Amino acid sequence: MSKQNYIGKNVPKLDAREKATGQALFAADINLPGMLYGKIVRCWDHAHAKVLKLDLSEAARVPGVVKVLGPADVTQKHYNTGVLDLMVPEDLGQLLGDIEDQRIFTDYVRHQGDAICGIIAESEEIAEIAAQKVKVLYEPLPVYLSAEESARPDAVQFDKRKPGNLAFQLPEQMFPGNAYGWGDVDAEMAKADLVLEETFTLPKVKQCQMEAHAYVALYDQTGRLNCWTSTQMPKCVQPKLARLFELPISRVNLVSTTIGGGFGVRLGMILEPETCAMALAVPGRPVKVQSSREEDWVASESRHPGKYWIKLGVKKDGTPVAVDAHFTSNAGAYFTHASGTAFTTGSWLTGMYKFGAARYKGDTYYTNQAPSGAFRGYGNPQTNFVLEQIVDRACAQLNIDPVEWRKKWHKGAGDDGWCIGVPYSSCALDECLDRGAEAIGWKEKRARYANQTGTKRRGLGVGVMNHTSGAMPMLLEHTTCTVKMNEDTSVVITLSCSDLGQGAHTVLKQIAADTLGMPMDEIHILVNMDAAGFDIGSHASRTTYVGGGAVIKACEDVKRQLIERASLRLGLPKEELEIIDRRVVCKSDPAKALSVKEICHSGVYNFTNPATGETNGVPGQIQGYASHFPNHNSPPFGACFAEVEVDIETGEVKVLELVIAHDIGRAINPMAVEGQLEGGAHQALGMTLTEDTTYDAAGLCRNNSFTDYKMFGPVDMPKIRTILVEQPDPIAPLGMKSVGEAGPVNPVGATANAISHALGIMFTEAPITPEKILKALKK
Amino acid sequence: MKTKMITLCVNGRNHRLEVPVNRTLLQALRDDLRLTETKYGCGTGECGGCTVLMDGKDSVCSCLTLAVEVEGRHITTVGGMTRDGELHPIQIAFIEEGAIQCGYCTPGMIMKTASILANNPNPTEEEIRKGLDGNICRCTGYAKIVQAVQRASQMLNASQSQKAGGMGS
Repeated sequence: MSKQNYIGKNVPKLDAREKATGQALFAADINLPGMLYGKIVRCWDHAHAKVLKLDLSEAARVPGVVKVLGPADVTQKHYNTGVLDLMVPEDLGQLLGDIEDQRIFTDYVRHQGDAICGIIAESEEIAEIAAQKVKVLYEPLPVYLSAEESARPDAVQFDKRKPGNLAFQLPEQMFPGNAYGWGDVDAEMAKADLVLEETFTLPKVKQCQMEAHAYVALYDQTGRLNCWTSTQMPKCVQPKLARLFELPISRVNLVSTTIGGGFGVRLGMILEPETCAMALAVPGRPVKVQSSREEDWVASESRHPGKYWIKLGVKKDGTPVAVDAHFTSNAGAYFTHASGTAFTTGSWLTGMYKFGAARYKGDTYYTNQAPSGAFRGYGNPQTNFVLEQIVDRACAQLNIDPVEWRKKWHKGAGDDGWCIGVPYSSCALDECLDRGAEAIGWKEKRARYANQTGTKRRGLGVGVMNHTSGAMPMLLEHTTCTVKMNEDTSVVITLSCSDLGQGAHTVLKQIAADTLGMPMDEIHILVNMDAAGFDIGSHASRTTYVGGGAVIKACEDVKRQLIERASLRLGLPKEELEIIDRRVVCKSDPAKALSVKEICHSGVYNFTNPATGETNGVPGQIQGYASHFPNHNSPPFGACFAEVEVDIETGEVKVLELVIAHDIGRAINPMAVEGQLEGGAHQALGMTLTEDTTYDAAGLCRNNSFTDYKMFGPVDMPKIRTILVEQPDPIAPLGMKSVGEAGPVNPVGATANAISHALGIMFTEAPITPEKILKALKK
Repeated sequence: MKTKMITLCVNGRNHRLEVPVNRTLLQALRDDLRLTETKYGCGTGECGGCTVLMDGKDSVCSCLTLAVEVEGRHITTVGGMTRDGELHPIQIAFIEEGAIQCGYCTPGMIMKTASILANNPNPTEEEIRKGLDGNICRCTGYAKIVQAVQRASQMLNASQSQKAGGMGS
């Protein structure tokens, strides 16, 4: 049981065949007998308004309508679709000021798309017709689209618990001056030879997962509330729904469907409360809710946009004496992740370079935009756009090579990490920078593009990043795993980790197979929320690292039991035994051995000889178990290099190539790692160059469609070369580090820096559109 | 809404259906025939998630096509690509090249690929990228999808020449 056969191999995803044949079941594909259709009626014409009158009578009379539900017909409890409340101790949650401010249906519209009421009908078409008959009288309120507007003293207060519409700021009790960092920033800044100060604007980027949100719920005859959902965090949504509807967790059956992309949008709940509320209103009948793309856009969360002020002080030789930064983000209409993102955005900043002193402030204001929330990278792409550009500007002014500067000043193993007080366990960033620079031809091209005169200007940029593998110690990190040995030695592993498409289940199976020394096709991964224990969910780039850690521990538990039983049977001390090729063997005398099959089989089929009282083995089916809390977060680093061509007549940016070198520790499945980096780059390029959700003055979204919200298409995407740098982390299980969330981070800084290199202009507003480029060139 | 009786030919099978005249092909496939492998992504022809193949060659967005319009045409969904449990080379290429992550765009991508290769068995990388434009994937950055189309093209051409060789001998 010790041969390593699968780790490091490009094993195709477990569900790839199902997906390639169209057999994978997404929530919208579920059809149950007697199924009804739920329609959430939303406010489309206002972004801020009071509902003065809601008349559902005409809608209720439409033939085929089963029930109409207004705000008073469902639970009056408030909730928070985010899950931070489950991830921190209660006292810390109170200190952070996390609140529950969302309702299933509301009479106070805080953003376009807020849910007003629900219709349950025999068909989708009937529900649509009835929705048109709902009469709502609104009293419009002033609309605030930025923190500056909603923070004004005369602004309407969204929530009396949050005066000034300040949803969150770093709490004074924890962070004196509402800031964290180290050293005396003002004193150190005064020692700088060069001080750069700039305010950057960050866009409201949408996850744009391809599966529009859909759910099915059924309150069944046994009194269980069943919900089919594609949430990334089933074991957090389960207790949240239990709490909201006042049911024990055991009466909430959450069924994880295939997840059609997550990227953070499914971090917590989305439309589970509305769907379940409808199902509870029609006991015994399943209700399906399918949102349209336009609806998905305005009703679910995005990346936090905002203003990011930064001041960087450096000495002539490049020494970064101090950094001072303040991210004022736009929470949108509800609290959701207001505290989390405001906090971590600074973590990536203070975790990156050896600043002499650092100070970061983060705060978040309510506005009438759609709520902001979790999006892959959780504040890191925002910091990358800002920090990597300001560093490059300093390098340009001091005539220092940006790669050399980064090699000299980035934090590394032993330095204080992104979470202050937790040192980095390893860092392969130097190798990432060296190999990336070599691959793209850094020195030669940087020199060649220095003095261009044509209409098409090329530029080369670099961006680095640090991230994390799981959120320990800031947030709860916990995964449980059960490994059941069948009597024929085949294995069922039960866990509740989500596979968003990144291949988590495949990777976990690879790890299990190698730990047990078993072929993958004899192992089944069972994801069942009733059977499986806790897992915090797929977020913070944690599943391979923490889920993998749990799988290893549970498999080791199986091996321990096998050795114990063999020891009893063979009469040899446990230390004398090892497992090789599915046999427990005596190290000094390999002839003394017992097969794993014999141990497993006799544990199940255990008979007692009535005459002698002897049994044919040690009784009991073998099950390994782990309730795993990791002791670190083994942060990955990475270096991205971008080459661009800017047309100074049209302002158009063509990204010619990206080289992405990632500090993966150990790649369990290299093809899956590449896929994460390539897909992440797509999201990063969008944020840098094209993507932003925009609103008109009335707060109505102007681009809630794939036509008007421009993502990079296959023609726009550059050639991408990925380099997996494998320096195993000394603390991590198998030496592995994360990749998923790192994907959309540093191509942001690298691309922005490449444009700056081409034009000699730093752009402070993302996305860097042709219009902005032309405007800047005219100056 | 006025309804019409139509015969819908999907994956080689004829289905008699009475549909409202405004029913989209996507609705007819998913809701009437319960062939849920064709996906809803936007409903407005922007994402390509609902792409199906018409008459073995043309790709259409089934969300923009009315069911009554395709009477008499041969519609292929990704469910019709597999023959007797054997995967089509395009499906194999997508699996082995790592072109599938969340898999939601995959049925549309595979049908688009079938159309690209039916019209041009040896596309260049640029032709592949242009051909895929209109099918959105948010997971892969398209890199491995482009590789999968290239691989599928090679596999199909190899099996074609094998067949041609077989006939000659």
